[in-house]
Amino acid sequence: MSLKSERRGIHVDQSELLCKKGCGYYGNPAWQGFCSKCWREEYHKARQKQIQEDWELAERLQREEEEAYASSQGTQGAQSLTFSKFEEKKTNEKSRKVTTVKKFFGASSRAGTKKEVQEAKAPSPSIHRQASIETDRVSKEFIEFLKTYHKPGQEIYKQCKIFLDAMHHKRELSIEEQSECAQDFYQNVAEKLQIRWKVSPEKLEKAMDQIEKYIMTRLYKYVFCPETTEDEKKDLAVQKRIRALHWVTPQMLCVPVNEDIPEVSDMVVKAITDIIEMDSKRVPHDKLACITKCSNHIFNAIKITRNEPASADDFLQTLIYIVLKGNPPRLQSNIQYITRFCNPSRLMSGEDGYYFTNLCCAVAFIEKLDAQSLNLSNEDFDRYMSGQTSPKKQEPESWSPDVCIGVKQMYKNLDLLSQLNERQEIIVSEAKKLERDLIDWTDGIAKEVQDIVEKYPLEIKPKNPPLAAIDSENVENDRLPPPLQPQVYAG
Amino acid sequence: MSGQRVDAKVVMLGKEYVGKTSLVERYVHNRFLVGPYQNTIGAAFVAKVMSVAGRTVTLGIWDTAGSERYEAMSRIYYRGAKAAIVCYDLTDSSSFQQENLWVHELQNFEEHCRIYLCGTKSDLLDEDRRKRGVDFHDVQDYADEIKAELFETSSKTGQNVDELFQKVAEDYVHFTAFQVMTEEKGVDLSQKSGTYFYSCCHH
Ligand SMILES: Nc1nc2c(ncn2[C@@H]2O[C@H](COP(=O)(O)OP(=O)(O)O)[C@@H](O)[C@H]2O)c(=O)[nH]1
Ligand SMILES: [Mg+2]
Repeated sequence: MSLKSERRGIHVDQSELLCKKGCGYYGNPAWQGFCSKCWREEYHKARQKQIQEDWELAERLQREEEEAYASSQGTQGAQSLTFSKFEEKKTNEKSRKVTTVKKFFGASSRAGTKKEVQEAKAPSPSIHRQASIETDRVSKEFIEFLKTYHKPGQEIYKQCKIFLDAMHHKRELSIEEQSECAQDFYQNVAEKLQIRWKVSPEKLEKAMDQIEKYIMTRLYKYVFCPETTEDEKKDLAVQKRIRALHWVTPQMLCVPVNEDIPEVSDMVVKAITDIIEMDSKRVPHDKLACITKCSNHIFNAIKITRNEPASADDFLQTLIYIVLKGNPPRLQSNIQYITRFCNPSRLMSGEDGYYFTNLCCAVAFIEKLDAQSLNLSNEDFDRYMSGQTSPKKQEPESWSPDVCIGVKQMYKNLDLLSQLNERQEIIVSEAKKLERDLIDWTDGIAKEVQDIVEKYPLEIKPKNPPLAAIDSENVENDRLPPPLQPQVYAG
Repeated sequence: MSGQRVDAKVVMLGKEYVGKTSLVERYVHNRFLVGPYQNTIGAAFVAKVMSVAGRTVTLGIWDTAGSERYEAMSRIYYRGAKAAIVCYDLTDSSSFQQENLWVHELQNFEEHCRIYLCGTKSDLLDEDRRKRGVDFHDVQDYADEIKAELFETSSKTGQNVDELFQKVAEDYVHFTAFQVMTEEKGVDLSQKSGTYFYSCCHH
């Protein structure tokens, strides 16, 4: 596990994910490494204080904003005083009538006040401060963005404020009810923008994204993986399940990517990084964007491997493989959070929705996965699940989805060596056999020769005419076999 | 954020090999690909802009994994769909048998999803009439019974393909126009759907 994270440069060390109290549930950096329950217990008081502080901060921000606006108007006024008293008075009167909301859309700069606010908040924990810096940044961007919408922009801001106030008092409600509220809010704002303010569909889309970003940055810590739900338990179950399935190979899933191609394995690593990164985002559509990025890498990996477009089946198979390989943290919590709090128009029909749905399918598949879905026999499946054996021996490259390249290479080499060894043994035994055969053969030949010799013994005629007389005595010529003709052999 | 705005989700359903992917490919890229495809873009999701009676509608067409091992997942796919194109192979009667299952589920779980039955590969029947494995009139009766539209298409020749998707878009426009009207009158009380997995998909 840690090897893997080092390779990809992502911190997913298991021990870092678990609750510091050791209760077995997931900890969360936002909860200083505790799980939600322990965090509650340990920091109940601190949290209450925090909420109070938050509220005060918000109020102070508002106040300071107002002051800054007033003072900027004041100095402007003082300068213009010398030029035209009358004009200045008129603008001042006008600006006084403006609602409290409008100050955000004025020309005032918040840079000066913000620093002071941060310092005033010194006693809060650093993580919290970081989160609130982020929240402030998002608020600022939101306001900047809304300025471009002029009047509807102010209206949107007011609606968001009202909604956030309302949500603050609804924290005791079930998460489903809170989700309903958020969904109703999205719908109402969208309708208002469309019907009352006649905003074009493209502009509406943009505005909805910004609204979601603004409100969800603020609500995240209360509605992500809330302790009133089973989300955390489910996260743990999925995580365990994926770990138990470590032996599943790409071949079993019929994954159409070949990781031996460096480009492809690069895409696979990127896809895994994207899907793990999802957990670090706070805004639902930012989480969705991670899934979409992951999906695009998957499509590329398939395209490079097969040189043809990926079908829906190819894509889902590969996504399942990526999820198994990456084991992304808090998968269920993230899916639930997106489902509950994402702007529905994104999730329902668009491209992001398509990939998100496939991720849901992948998780459902992993939860239900059995021998049949991998084309394995029940016995094999059970043995692999129980860890008695694993299919790694036969398929070294899929042996260790989590191990670093060096170790992978080592296993590959080991496997090659053992193959070599086997082949050598075969050669030795074949050689021995050959030796035996050769011995048998010589023995056989010797025996045959012996037999022949026995059958046709060499009879040496007792009387042999002297060599010199051969030519002189030709009396018995016709009774003799024909004379041997000399034959020439090579060499 | 990626992707463009989409008005309606259209989901392709049907057994593996009935020709879902080819149908989308023909409609969107106007081509029929045989054998190893070449430099084409993956077509699992496509957004298609269409015009209906002077209005533009963007259909988000969802191709789905049809192989048996993913059968249990189909319900996750069609959630929130405005239309489902349920495909079967005209030359393969077994592919039609499965139709009933999809239709049943759609009717039970997605009351706002309109159903389009689509017999594929009609060009194979032109070659040889005896290849027909599914009787037209039987399916027509069935379609009437479940209030679905019926199309017989060929992705190879393009026959009836544009007509099918055009009809889907037209129905969507008419249907939503009607829905808005009834909603404004406050008739439709059943609009608020329960909170199931996709709690955000009531609409
Ligand atoms: N002759 C003919 N073949 C088709 C037609 N549509 C699809 N096919 C073939 O049927 C096979 C399966 O098609 P595909 O679109 O991959 O099916 P899917 O699994 O439902 O997506 C492919 O070999 C296609 O070439 C058609 O209209 N006519
Ligand atoms: Mg297909």
